[in-house]
Amino acid sequence: MTAGYEIVDHTYDVVVVGAGGAGLRATLGLAEAGLETACITKVFPTRSHTVAAQGGISAALGNMGEDDWRWHMYDTVKGSDWLGDQDAIEYMCKEAPSAVIELEHYGVPFSRTEEGRIYQRPFGGMSTHFGKGTAQRTCAAADRTGHAMLHALYQQSLRHDATFYIEYFAIDLIMDDGVCRGVIAIDLADGRIHRYRCQTVILATGGYGRAYFSCTSAHTCTGDGNAMVLRAGLPLQDMEFVQFHPTGIYGAGCLITEGVRGEGGYLTNSDNERFMERYAPNAKDLASRDVVSRSMTIEIREGRGVGEENDHLYLNLQHLGSEVIDERLPGIAETAKIFAGVDVTREPIPVLPTVHYNMGGIPTNYHGEVLTTVDGEDRVVPGLMAAGEAACVSVHGANRLGSNSLLDLVVFGRAAARRCAETLQPGARQPELQEQSGDEGLDRLDTLRNAKGSTPTADIRLRMQKCMQEHAAVFRTGDLLRAGIEQLREIHASFADVSVSDRSLIWNTDLVETLELQNLLDQAMATISAAEHRTESRGAQAREDYPDRDDDNWMKHILTWIDSGGSVRFGYRDVTLDTLTDDVEAIPPKARVY
Amino acid sequence: MSRRTALGHVLGLGSAKDGTGHWWAQRVSAVAMVPLGLWFLFSVALLIGRGTVDYLSVIDWIASPVNAVALILLIATMCYHSALGVQVVIEDYVHGGTKVVSLVLQKFAHAVLAAAGIFAVLRIALGS
Amino acid sequence: MAKFTLPANSRIGKGRHYDAPANAGKTRRFKVYRYDPDSGDNPRVDSYEVDLSRCGPMVLDALIKIKNEMDPTLTFRRSCREGICGSCAMNIDGVNTLACTKAIDDIGGEVKIYPLPHAAVVKDLVPDLTQFYAQYASIQPWLQTRTPAPPDRERLQSKEEQELIDEPSACILCACCSTSCPSYWWNSDRYLGPAALLQAYRWLIDSRDEATGDRLDDLEDPFRLYRCHTIMNCTSACPKGLNPARAIAETKKMLMERRH
Repeated sequence: MTAGYEIVDHTYDVVVVGAGGAGLRATLGLAEAGLETACITKVFPTRSHTVAAQGGISAALGNMGEDDWRWHMYDTVKGSDWLGDQDAIEYMCKEAPSAVIELEHYGVPFSRTEEGRIYQRPFGGMSTHFGKGTAQRTCAAADRTGHAMLHALYQQSLRHDATFYIEYFAIDLIMDDGVCRGVIAIDLADGRIHRYRCQTVILATGGYGRAYFSCTSAHTCTGDGNAMVLRAGLPLQDMEFVQFHPTGIYGAGCLITEGVRGEGGYLTNSDNERFMERYAPNAKDLASRDVVSRSMTIEIREGRGVGEENDHLYLNLQHLGSEVIDERLPGIAETAKIFAGVDVTREPIPVLPTVHYNMGGIPTNYHGEVLTTVDGEDRVVPGLMAAGEAACVSVHGANRLGSNSLLDLVVFGRAAARRCAETLQPGARQPELQEQSGDEGLDRLDTLRNAKGSTPTADIRLRMQKCMQEHAAVFRTGDLLRAGIEQLREIHASFADVSVSDRSLIWNTDLVETLELQNLLDQAMATISAAEHRTESRGAQAREDYPDRDDDNWMKHILTWIDSGGSVRFGYRDVTLDTLTDDVEAIPPKARVY
Repeated sequence: MSRRTALGHVLGLGSAKDGTGHWWAQRVSAVAMVPLGLWFLFSVALLIGRGTVDYLSVIDWIASPVNAVALILLIATMCYHSALGVQVVIEDYVHGGTKVVSLVLQKFAHAVLAAAGIFAVLRIALGS
Repeated sequence: MAKFTLPANSRIGKGRHYDAPANAGKTRRFKVYRYDPDSGDNPRVDSYEVDLSRCGPMVLDALIKIKNEMDPTLTFRRSCREGICGSCAMNIDGVNTLACTKAIDDIGGEVKIYPLPHAAVVKDLVPDLTQFYAQYASIQPWLQTRTPAPPDRERLQSKEEQELIDEPSACILCACCSTSCPSYWWNSDRYLGPAALLQAYRWLIDSRDEATGDRLDDLEDPFRLYRCHTIMNCTSACPKGLNPARAIAETKKMLMERRH
C-alpha cells in the first residue's frame, strides 16, 4: 500500500455505491433482507441528484382514466426507438404500479385526486391503446417528485439497519480475476482510505451529464461508477445516447419539467407559432424528448429562435393561470423567477435543449447483474451489480421517456436487492483480499493529490465540456464527431499534465474534482467514439449523414471498452426483442411517429 | 472526546414530557397581567392627576379592599411570570453545575419577593 | 455559561488578497472565510477580486469561478446549483442562504461569505452537520401506522389533507434555519432546532400517520421543543420560503389541545 495513508478494512455482505433513488432503494431492500449492508455516498443522501427530478414517476395505476401496463410498455419500447430490451421493459412496466404504491406506503407526499388517490399527469410519449390516446400515467408530488421520493427513501433507510458512509468518495472496484470483491473509498473528512470487502458491490452512481458544458445535471453527476467499471476492464453500453431535455433554462441550464407541457404548457418560436404542431401533429408538445429537442434545434437553426441572438425558444404557461401553477408547478415558478427573472403567470420561460440524461451506462440484465461479453456471449460479472442511471438495463434504449427514470431507479434498485436476497447468504465467508487489493486506485489518488503539472483541473474540464457540447450534441455528423474525437484525445492526453493545488487529506475538493474529471474524460471518450461508430439515426442519436434508422445493421447495443491510455474498443450485444413472459406480445419495430 | 454516537447524544435522557404547563402558565400569567397592569397604571396616573401622591394618601389607596386584592393579584402574577421567564433565561444561557443552583435561587428570590410584597399590602390593608 | 466572545482559536486573522486578471471588466470583492484544518492556524478571511463580466449571476457562480481560476484550494459543498439539494448553504452578506440561488446583484458592496454560524467548521465553508442530521433522525421521520397498508393500492388522503403536508415536506435540510436561530446556538445539544421540528410537524399533520400521540410525547420537553422563543429567524432565513416558526407554534398548540 502507498505509504502515508491509513487503511480501514470492512467486511459486508453488500456494498452499495451511491445514495440516490436507486442506491437507497437497493440499500433498504438489502437491509430488510437481513444482509449486512453499507452504502457509500459522496454527498449526504438527500443531496443526490434524484432530488432534482420534478415531473413524476410513471406507472399504469389508472387513477385518472383507463390504463394498462402493456400500453406503458408499448410507449417505452417505441420511445426507446426499439433499442430497449423488451424483457427488461416488460419487467419495469409490470412492476411499476407496485413500486409506486410501495413509495406511497413509505410516506411519499404524492399530490391527490378528488378521490384521495395519487394524482397523475400526462407526460411526453405516454399514450393509451398503443399510441392512440393520451395517458395520464405520471404520478406526481407537485413538481418536486424526485425530492419527495429521495427524502422518503432516506427516511426509510433511517429505520433500517444499513450503515451509511457519508461523504466518502469511491475510488475503484477491487477486482480479482474477473470477480468483483469490493471497493475502496476515501473518507473526505479525514482522508483515511476505507477498503470494503463484500460479496457484491452495487453501483448506483448516476449519470455523467457534467461531461457537457450545459446540462441540467448537478455538479456531482460525474458517472464515477461508470468510470470504475471501465478501469476494471469492463465495457459500457449505448454510451452514444445522451438525452437533451427540451426545456433547460436558457443560460443557467436548470431543468424545467416536462410536466409543464403535461399540464398544458407549450413551446413557441419567434413567429409566436406553436411549432411542435408541425413536427408532431398528434402528440405536439408531448412528443418524446429527442423529437422535441430536434425540432427546437431546427427552429433555431432556421432563424426562428427568440432573444437577441435568436438562439433559444419560449415555453409558455401563462394561460394555465396562477391557481394551477401554485398547486402543481410551484417549484417551476420559483426556479423561473430566480434563474430567468420571469414571472411565469405573465411571461414565457426562455428555454433550450440541454443535456439531461444518459441512456447508456453499465450493461446489466433485469436483475441488475452486470454483463460483459466473452467471445460474443453475454457473461455475468460475479459480485458486481448496477442500478439507476449508471446502469443500462436497457429499458430506455436510444431515448428515455420522461418519468421513466424515477421508475427505473426504484424498480431496478429493488430488483437488485431482491436478487442479492435470493443469491447471497447473509454473513457468508468471503475469501481474504490480497494484500495489494486497491493499490492501483490508491496510487492513482496519491499521484493526483501530488500532481504538479501546469494545467489546472478546471481548464481541462472546461475544454472537455466545450468539445463535447460542440461535437456530440443534438445533431451529429461523421466529420464533426471525428474532429471531436481528435480534440478529445488531445484533451485526454493533457490530463497527464494536470495540476492540483490542494495537498490536504481533509476535504480536498480539488483532488475530488480531479478524480471526477478523470472519470468524465473516459466517459466523454466512450460517448463521442460510440456516436461516431453508430452510423444511423435512432432516438437521441441524430446523424445528419445517416438520417435513417438502420435496423438491419444497427439494432444492437454498442459496448465500449477504454484502456488506460484512452484507446477505444467496441463490441456488440443483441437487443432483446422477446418479452419476459407471455403476458404481453413483443412489439415489432416500426416507424416512429408522434 | 466522547465516542457516543451523534444520535445517542441527541436522544440523550429522552423527553421530559414536560414544558407545556410552563409554556401555558407563562402565557396565562402574561394575559392576566394585562388588565392588572392597566389597572395599576391607571390608578397611579389618577393619584398623580389628583396631586395626592404623598405617603398617607398612597397608604389610603392601598388600604381600600378592592385595591388591596388587585395589588396582591398583581404582585403574585408578576412574580410568578417573572420566575417563569427568568427560569427560561437561565436555562438558555447558564450551563453546567451553576444552572441548577441558579434555578433554585431564582425561585427562592421570587418567592421571597412575592411573600414580602403580599405581606406589605396585607399589613396596610388590615391596618396592624 | 453561554460564550459571548469567540474562543482564542476562532478569532479571525489577516487573509490573503487575490487580484482580478488584468483584462477584467466590472469586478467585485468577495471576502471569504478560510480555515485550514491541516495547519491548525486561526481562520482568516481571504479577499478575491472577481471579474463579474465573465461570471454567472449567483454567489455560487462566483465561488466556482474563484475555485476554478484563482484558488483551487477554496473548499465548499455544492451540487444541484438550482436550490433543491441544499448543499451550498452558507452565511452570505450576514444571512444564511443557498449560494446557488443568491444573486450577486442583490448584495451591495463587498460580498462577505462565512460558513453557517455556530457549527464546527471542518474546512473553509464546510461545516460539520453531524448533529443536525442526528436531530433529524431523532424525530423518526417516517410514516408510522398500525393499520396495515392496503395490499394493492395507495393509502387514501384527501386533497386538503395532502395540502397540509405539501409545504413542510418541501424542506431540503440545508440547515439555514437551525443555524440562524440564537436559541439553537446556545442549546443545540438539547434543542432540536427549527429544521427537525418542521419535519416533526410534517409527520404530526400527515393524515396517514397514526403515531401522532407518541410523536407529541417525544417532543414535549423544555429543551427539545420549548427552547423555541418565537424569534422567527428560521422563517426569515429559509431559502425555500417555508415557515418552521409557524410549524413549531402549531405543534405547541397541539400539545395544549390534548390537555384540555
